[in-house]
Amino acid sequence: MDHAPARSSRPYLDDLTRSLHTPLERIAVEHADLIEAVRRRVVTNDSVPSGIVAVAAFNSSI
Amino acid sequence: MLKVHSRCDLSCDHCYVYQHADQTWRGRPARMPPATVQAAARRIAEHAREHGLPIVHVVLHGGEPLLLGAAGLREVLAELRTAITPWTRLDLRMQTNGVLLDEELCRLFVEYDVRVGVSFDGDRAANDRHRVFAHGGSSHDQVRRALALLRRPEHRASYAGILCTIDVRNDPDRVYEALLAESPPRVDLLLPHATWDHPPEHPGPARTPYADWLGRIHRRWVDDGRPMSIRMFEALRPGGGGTEAFGLAPADVLVIEADGSWEQVDSLKTAYHGAADTGFDVFDQSVDEVARHPGVAVRQDGVDGLCATCRACPVVDRCGGGLYAHRWRTGSGFDNPSVYCADLLSLIDTVDAYPPPSPLASGERSATSPVDELLDDLATGHGSASTLALLAATQLSITRALLAAGRDRSGATAAWDLLVHLDQTAPEAVRAVLAHPFVRPGLVHRLDSSAPPGLGVAVDPLPALAIAAALLAGVPATLQVPVRADAITLPSLGRLVLPGLGESAEVSVRPGEFQVRGGSVEQTVLLDPLALPSTGWLPTRDVSVPGGRLLLEDGDPYRDCYGQPVESRLEVPAARALGRTLAEAWRVVHRDVPAHAAALDGGLRAVVPLAPDPARPLRSATARHAFGAVAVTPHPDPETMAVLLVHEWQHAKLGAVLDLYDLVEPAHGSRIRVPWRPDPRPPEGVLQGVYAHLAVTQVWQSRAATDQPDASAHAAHFLGWTRDGVDALLASRSLTAAGERFVGQLRHALEETRVGSR
Repeated sequence: MDHAPARSSRPYLDDLTRSLHTPLERIAVEHADLIEAVRRRVVTNDSVPSGIVAVAAFNSSI
Repeated sequence: MLKVHSRCDLSCDHCYVYQHADQTWRGRPARMPPATVQAAARRIAEHAREHGLPIVHVVLHGGEPLLLGAAGLREVLAELRTAITPWTRLDLRMQTNGVLLDEELCRLFVEYDVRVGVSFDGDRAANDRHRVFAHGGSSHDQVRRALALLRRPEHRASYAGILCTIDVRNDPDRVYEALLAESPPRVDLLLPHATWDHPPEHPGPARTPYADWLGRIHRRWVDDGRPMSIRMFEALRPGGGGTEAFGLAPADVLVIEADGSWEQVDSLKTAYHGAADTGFDVFDQSVDEVARHPGVAVRQDGVDGLCATCRACPVVDRCGGGLYAHRWRTGSGFDNPSVYCADLLSLIDTVDAYPPPSPLASGERSATSPVDELLDDLATGHGSASTLALLAATQLSITRALLAAGRDRSGATAAWDLLVHLDQTAPEAVRAVLAHPFVRPGLVHRLDSSAPPGLGVAVDPLPALAIAAALLAGVPATLQVPVRADAITLPSLGRLVLPGLGESAEVSVRPGEFQVRGGSVEQTVLLDPLALPSTGWLPTRDVSVPGGRLLLEDGDPYRDCYGQPVESRLEVPAARALGRTLAEAWRVVHRDVPAHAAALDGGLRAVVPLAPDPARPLRSATARHAFGAVAVTPHPDPETMAVLLVHEWQHAKLGAVLDLYDLVEPAHGSRIRVPWRPDPRPPEGVLQGVYAHLAVTQVWQSRAATDQPDASAHAAHFLGWTRDGVDALLASRSLTAAGERFVGQLRHALEETRVGSR
């Protein structure tokens, strides 16, 4: 079994909406890939290339 | 992957370790000696520490790891946890045939937070076609007993899923039903290992029997509403990201054999004897040194590391050339498509085609995908109420995922247990707290701390979240809550500032109040909005707007996420004045651009005052992590404030979309000239700019229609900016397919704006 999380760079719309109906304590087990995708996309921002606009203060970044 | 035991108690005839080309197992020790376990753990910890890795995944593998027994496994698990967890989050896994699994082992895996995958090929006939003992006897009953143990509520957290190696001679319906009956969180369907030298079996005349067989399971799975995760189908979806077997992501797996040898992925053992060898071991070489081995390095190149046939293939981003081992052919090595290429192509077609698009009902716009529908709707410039609700739901879901990730990092705590309890008994209260815009910045800060666990991390936000939810739910509870700068912040409710509270305070929730004890302080805080605030309690103020209650957030420390100074708590007259301006501005938005007003109603929940700066009196900002909030300088003119709100809310919506979809090519480093700034801008900045300017154009167009002075000039000004920005963006070739579609639709919206529609 490939135990590594799926290497998706982004969370899926289906997974996000389905996980809203999963009890909080079950999310880590039932949606392990989603958590990893969120961790990569939102926390470590793996998908962000150099030169991208800052996440804050869009008015000075657009 | 740690090969903690190199022998097995089954004798499966499809096993790549013993039955295929590589026979190196014969020269290895049966058990990984303790000194080797220590060296391996030190190497992993060293790598995590030097690279600041947020997480490391370690899989105990074999052979059969359960042959170590409970005592032997405990020693290995303790060594790994002790050596590695001071430096990173350790995700421990195990792959087993399950035959020896018992209650004692299950308890051990729960204790050490190990998630266990079990190899199981389906119904009895399917499983016993290959998975048998050396004497030929069935393993089916033992494996099902193991799966039943893992399903028990007390062990369920350690149930990772099932690995099923397929055989097209088996009945796919019976295999699917047998897998589903075990209620696995995930199923990993594995194509039997094969190479061009030893191609897979084709028992009948079908050209793509593996795709046909898997396609049958895919149809059942979709028809059943995808009742379990099936990794193969999810990975093959557009943008599926991939796994070890699919996709273009760099290979990130190394194997440590029982003798301490570093090896490449062990599926290579199917290619030829010694195929996975590196010549390195954990005693003498670090992970970085192994990563520079040519066999590992070549697998970091994505599409450039594939053969010419794959590079020219339109679905190369989906299959990624298939499993590396399946490309082997004597003479050309791995420079070939997968031996399963035809099946993978056919399977991708199946995944794309089923379910078919729903037929158009009368009056529907199109049979587009949910992604396209969402983007098309937002590309009108505003977005419908249902789209806003969907975006808000995805943001809430991301926050819940971050919360679960935080629990993964901290382990179970009283705060977590309270949140879990409230999530079941008072879900609306939990939802209300988690939807507060500054919960996510706090969770991200906690998870993204540069300091590894144990060496000083951001304040744990969970206790304050749980107390806030308990207060909203009216559920009595007591927790220790961290204190930061003499203050406890309860998201969405307010901030208690009491000098002398110490580093942590006991907070008890009671009906209509809460009590705090910490350091030299004991204080009861009444929550009655009509009573005078208790000493030190600074409730979050709000103002009534057409969308509901809008918070004036000037207390939450995580509101400071805009890259410019935020204002400290406003005096009462200033707060009232800002509230009046915002309420009036909201009405102006309803007057000018009702469609944008509906989008504001659907999601804007908080406004953060920015600190005044005489040199730049009119500023506003949006933060990607704080959906539902915008920051503004407290400008007194509602007409001006209305433009700021519309402008910033565009950024908030687009930020939420960018959490889900890449609209700009991730590797595109180009800069684009835009009319609103002298310096060339990155594509995402231009995208954000044109989306905001389109909405502002629509505001001024509307005002021009009522003959407001200078409105026509402003409208023309912003229209020109938007049009030039959109054209520059489309010409830049920096957009993904979804981005091209989105900006193309924006161009249409712009044309409608130009001819004067409101």
